[in-house]
Order: sequence, then C-alpha cells, then structure tokens
Amino acid sequence: MDYLAHLALNAGVFMILALGLNLINGVCGQFSLGHAGFWAVGAYAGAAYSLFAPLPIPDWANLLISCGVGFTAAAIAGLIIGIPCLRLRGDYLAIATLGFGEIIRIMINNMEVLGGSRGLTGIPAWSNLFWIYLFVVLTVLFMINLVRGTHGRAIISIREDEIAADSMGINTFKYKTIAFAIGAGLAGLAGPLFAHAQQFLHPNNFTFIWSVIILLMVILGGLGSISGAIVGALILTALPEVLRFMGETVAQWRMVIYSVMLIALMLLRPEGIFGKRELTLHWLQKLLRDRGVG
Amino acid sequence: MNEELLYFFYDLGQYLINGITQGSIYALIALGYTMVYGIIKLINFAHGEFYMIGAFVGYYLVISGASLWIAFPAAMLGAGVVAVIIERLVYRPIRHAGRIAALISALGTSLFFQYLGQGTVGADPKTFPPVIEEISYEWGEMMISNIQIIIIITTIVLMLVLRWLVSSTRIGMAMRAVSFNHDAAELMGIDTNKIISFTFFVGAALAGAAGVLVGLYYNTIEPMMGLMPGLKAFVAAVLGGIGIIPGAALGGLVLGIVENLVTGFWASNYRDAIAFGILIIILLIKPTGLMGKNIREKV
Amino acid sequence: MSLASTSPILKLSDLTIRFGGLTAVDRVNISLGSNDLVGIIGPNGAGKTTIFNMVTGLYQPSEGAIELENSSIVGMRPAHITQAGIARTFQNIRLFNELTVLDNVRLARHSRTSYSLLASIFRTKGFHQEEAVIKDRAVEILKLFKLEKKSHLLARQLPYGEQRRLEIARALATDPKVLLLDEPAAGMNPNETMDLAELIKWIHDEFKIATLLIEHDMKLVMNTCQRIYVVDHGVLIAHGCPNEIQNNPKVVEAYLGTSESSEKERS
Repeated sequence: MDYLAHLALNAGVFMILALGLNLINGVCGQFSLGHAGFWAVGAYAGAAYSLFAPLPIPDWANLLISCGVGFTAAAIAGLIIGIPCLRLRGDYLAIATLGFGEIIRIMINNMEVLGGSRGLTGIPAWSNLFWIYLFVVLTVLFMINLVRGTHGRAIISIREDEIAADSMGINTFKYKTIAFAIGAGLAGLAGPLFAHAQQFLHPNNFTFIWSVIILLMVILGGLGSISGAIVGALILTALPEVLRFMGETVAQWRMVIYSVMLIALMLLRPEGIFGKRELTLHWLQKLLRDRGVG
Repeated sequence: MNEELLYFFYDLGQYLINGITQGSIYALIALGYTMVYGIIKLINFAHGEFYMIGAFVGYYLVISGASLWIAFPAAMLGAGVVAVIIERLVYRPIRHAGRIAALISALGTSLFFQYLGQGTVGADPKTFPPVIEEISYEWGEMMISNIQIIIIITTIVLMLVLRWLVSSTRIGMAMRAVSFNHDAAELMGIDTNKIISFTFFVGAALAGAAGVLVGLYYNTIEPMMGLMPGLKAFVAAVLGGIGIIPGAALGGLVLGIVENLVTGFWASNYRDAIAFGILIIILLIKPTGLMGKNIREKV
Repeated sequence: MSLASTSPILKLSDLTIRFGGLTAVDRVNISLGSNDLVGIIGPNGAGKTTIFNMVTGLYQPSEGAIELENSSIVGMRPAHITQAGIARTFQNIRLFNELTVLDNVRLARHSRTSYSLLASIFRTKGFHQEEAVIKDRAVEILKLFKLEKKSHLLARQLPYGEQRRLEIARALATDPKVLLLDEPAAGMNPNETMDLAELIKWIHDEFKIATLLIEHDMKLVMNTCQRIYVVDHGVLIAHGCPNEIQNNPKVVEAYLGTSESSEKERS
C-alpha cells in the first residue's frame, strides 16, 4: 500500500509539472528544457520557508504559504530567464532554459545553507495525497479557464502563428512571458508539495534528465492537451514500475526505451496520444460511436 | 618585480595555456554544431555523443593494440559514420516536420547514445591508456605538456583542412550553396541530401577527433562525457555566431579561456555554470554572436 | 491630381528601407483619405509587401515617416499599430489553422477586450458578459462574410477562397480605420477574382474604412480602386486614377513590359 501511495504521490507531482510545461511548450509553442530547474527553485524556496521561517500557524496553512513561496520564486526565475530569451527564436530558449536548469542545480550544490551536495533534510511532513491532488484539480481548473478566455486564446495564437497574432493586436511578447512565468510557477508549486512529502531534497533530484522526462510526458499526451498532460504523467510514472516487473535488465534500459519512444513519437505520431484535443465525455462518446459505425 | 604580481602572471599564464587547450576541444566540437546548424538549421543535441563515440572507438582500438596513427583517424571515421546513419534514419525523415519536432528527436538521439553507452560498456569511467608519455615543459611556475601542444596543433591542422575543404573544393562550395539557399542549390543540380550527409560526417569526425584528444588529455572517458562539452560547444557556436565556421573556432577558444580564468581566479565550483552564464549574456547583448550579422525573418 | 483627399488618415512620406546595400523601398510617398479605396501595383519584388510590413511595424523603415491620423507610428510594435487602427491580411494567408473559424475572429477582438486574466480564471460576471459580447460581434462579422455556418470548423478545413474571406473578416474584426489587403487575389481563378472585386467594393461601402490594396492582378485594381500607385524597383513611378495609369507609358513599360517578357520566358 505504501508503495502504491508513493507512486500516486509522484504521479500527482508530475501531473502539476506536466501541466506547467504543457502551458509553455504545448499551448504557447515555446520550448523550455529547464522545467526541473524551476521545480528545484520552487522546492528549495518552499522548503527553506518551512525550515527557517515558518509562521506560528497550523501546518496546512504553512504548507499553503510554502506553496505560494515556491510558485512565486519559480515564476520570478521564469521571468528572469524568459525576458531575455523569449525575444529570440525557440531553439535558443531551449538551450538557455537547459543552461538555467543546470546553473540552478550547480548553485544549490554549492549552497551550504540548503544542504549543498549532502541534500536538505528535516523538511516537515505537511504534504500528502490530499493536498497534492487538491492542487492537481485546481491546476486543471486553472488551465481550462485560462485557455477558454481571451488571454488563453492569445497565448494559443502565438503557437499558431506569431506574426499573425501580432497583427491581430496581440502583444505576443507579453503573452509569451506570461505563459512562461505561469508555467515555471506551476513547476515551482509542485516543488513544496513534493518536498513536504519526501521530507528530503537533493540537487540530483532535479537533473536535466527530469526536464526531459517531463517533456516526454507532455509530448506523449499531446502537446497542448490538458488531459494529455495528465495521462502522460500517469503513464510515465507507472512505466518504470511496469518495466521493473519485466525484469532487471528491462528496467536498466529504461532511459534507452524512453529515448527511442521520444524519437519514435516524433517520427510516427508527433501529435501524441490526444493531439491538441481534450479527453472529454463528448469526445469519448464520439470516438465510441465512430468505432461502432466503422 | 613584486613577487605577488609575478605569481599572478604565472597563474594567468597557466590559466591561458589550459584555457587554450580546453578551448581547442570546444572549438572542434563547436565546428560540427555550427556546420549542421548552418545547413539544416537544426541544433543537433546529439553532437556531443559523436564526440563520445569517437573517444570510445579510439579507446577500444588503442587497448587492442592499434597505434594512435590508426586509432585517431578511425575514431574520426567511426563518429562520422554514426552521424551519417543517424542523419539518414532520424533527421532526414523529420526535416520537414518543424523545428521543435527535429529538436526533440535530436534530444532523443542524444539520450539514446548516452544510455546505450551506459547499458553496453557500463557507466564507470574507463582509463584511456597513456599512449603518449607525458612530458611537461616548465617556465617559471607555468607548465605546458606535450599533450597540450599536440591538442593545440592538431586542432589548428584540422581547422586548416576544414577551411580548405569548405572554401576550395567542389563539395565545400556545394555545402555553402546549400546553407545559403536550399531550394536554389537543389535547382542548380546539387544533391542536397548528399551534401547534408557529408556535412554531418565532417562535423562528427571533428567531434570524434576531439574525443580522442580528450581521452589523451584527461585519461578517462565515459558514456556521459558528451553531455556537458556538447552543450558548451553549442554555447561556443552561439557565442561566435551560429552557422559561421570561423565563429565556432573563436567562440570555442573564448569559452575555454574564460572558463579557466573564472574558475582559476574566482569560483572553481561553478565551472559548468559559466558557459550558460555566457550564453544568457550573449543572448541579451548580441544574439547573433560575436561574428554574426543581423538577419530578418521573411514575412 | 484632383483626387487627392483633404485630410489623409494614413500618410507615408519619403518612406525608405535598405537591406544591407539594397534599397528595397526608396522615398515612397503615399497618402490615403479616410474613405479611400486605393491600390498599389507593381511587378513582383517591387517592394509592395515591404511597404505593408513597414506600415504594420514588422520592419523598421530606414528613413521617412508613417503617420496615422497625423501621429507617427514608426517604431511602434505591430500589436500597438493594430490597436491604433491598422489591420492587414497576408499574401500567403496566415490564419490560426488549428483554431476554429469562430476563434480566429474572436482573437481579433482581443485588443478590444478589457477583462483581466484573473477574471478569466475566476469566471467573474464581467468575464461572462464580455465574452458574450465578443461572441455576438464575431458571429455578426462571420454572417456578413457568409461564414457563420462554418464557425466551428478549423480554419485549415475551409476551402482556399473561404480562407481568404475569413482572413479579411478577421482583420475587420479588430475595428480598423485602415485595412491593408496584400494580394488577396493570389491563387484565385478569374471568376473568384471577380467575386473578390465585388467583396472589396462591398467592404469599402459597408464598413466605410480606408482600404489599401496591393495587387499583382492589374484588372482587379482597375475595377475596384479609385486611385492607383505604381511601384517598380522600390520607387513610385506613377500615381493617378485607373485611366491615367492605364495610359501612362512608364507604367506600360515597367509593368506590362515585364509581364510580356515573362510570358516569353514561359513559352
């Protein structure tokens, strides 16, 4: 049971991370490879609050403040990295965010206050499945309401055609920055939820490879699809466990399998499982009906 | 002269020597990055892995008794051939699917080789045999080894060959034509696919050469060794002006020197962060790079 | 020239742009009255689209002025220029392909929308009210362009001619004072082109806005525009009403001359 709870916990954290990255990469069409870096910023900032400056209030209230600190810190980091890079073409953003993620990790490694390379211990156990999935639900609602309003449409239009968006009177730079900061902020939000469940943070939790795995979750589900990000996070959290059942050798080759998946997806089904569609009741019905007729 | 000042200059000199050596390696890798970018506008994430493959080809040949005169060109050839295969299997089919799709495939290719390497040869570092006996030349407190000299000279020679190849041969001319205008080159009867393959081959061969040189220099190689130098070489290419061949050489050298000066004089724990700091600064100040010209997107 | 308007809404003075050594547009003067329907013609590569790109802020002119209602718009971001009242279409249709027809038009209302991001997240009353207004306005415009029945299709699913219409509808939905149409007849057959001419005239009457039309197709411009500017190699070589232009020897040489030679090449 503990094992399953642990998996469910990780899945929830990755859902929030994937939803954040989906906003940047899928909805807005920018390309961030530093999501683990923003996650780290949020996790360490939130944990630092809880360890060094918690208010004399109930634990759950402190957890909420910690989450707020994590979100804000990562969103600010997102602004710092996004403002110079979002003026440039997408591939530069990819490398700059990747570099940023590495810089963050190296900095934390050298910060003794935050445990440095020994890791940060003693983080209070305030987070649990309830809080994590509450935030998953809130994040999903947030995303749905965002993309179904004029600001969300503006963000989508950038993905579709930036020049056309500009000439529709949409301040593309502003909306790219907003999408980027919110996406980074959501990664930051996942940080304290993760930290207060694990009670331990280490810089190696946030290596580049995790940015890639989160990206793979988003791509697998379908860039731009909210339900896709959820399903992608679920699949890729469960997959290593499934591979473990298939034997030690298969589990060892997990990353090779992931990388082949990434390439194969791009070659064969670049739109992912859902494409840009959403997994809605309506769509499921239609799918079943179509199958029935065909 | 004041003794403290003297030691400062010794330090400076030593950091410059190490920086130029390190920069030569970055430059060799950056050349391939920039050539591939110049011709198909792809940031080939997997480029660092060609460098790793070169190092391993060299390693296995040397430990099975081959001389460096055979191992070195064979490493270049091996890295080049792998690059050509990858281009054919992955990048060519995806070339028209958009930049992001291509970039993600490149990322996947990079991970594939890293973890395939870990799975086959193991994650532990391997000791590259010291085939060249190291001799150090001292001058005051400064030292330069024969291996450093070999690295610098080999880099210069390879760059001169590349320069000749690009500027004075038919295939070099075709490469320039394709990178200038794909469609026009095609209409002129140039087989662009062949030229792109060739570009991958040459770029990866240079990276493979860098792999062997690093094996000689640091004596250890491992499957993940391509990740950081690959990323840094990309930074070097951007620093010099991506797509510009002399720019990559300059960028690599500048990056190597700056990295050694900063870690030497100031913050030794931040070695790997410096390159990315430089990247962000250059993107802020002059995104076209040191030798870049302004270009505009056609509307 | 008797047709010059009293107070121009859009005025380009000595507009110049150089790309490296090449002067793509050289001291061009164009003025557009508030109810004008004016054409710019010229051979391919004459610099027509470059003029549009400068007016809409995609390119920065090297020299010269662009004034909208007597205030300069040089240096403004494209989005702000659209908000100030200039809308355009593109030579090679730039719709939001993966969005619905309705959303394409709704997006054009973005800069005329005032509710905040938070209002959108929390679905406030203000959000619902304004979204309803946006939708009504978008549907209204789609009706005018006979696209309302297709409002839930994706833009890329429309046939070519309807994509052109949608792009014009989308531009008009930004409430422009000046409409710039960049070769709207490109890729159309003669019948479609004739319909388009009627549509352009109808838009001009219906919306009462100044329209500047770039066109390669001489006949379309002659049929629709009140005045015509002729550009060749970045330079304005003639200006006048359709009759004057048709009989201007310089135009015949620059414009018809090139088309004759290109026909020779083809045969």
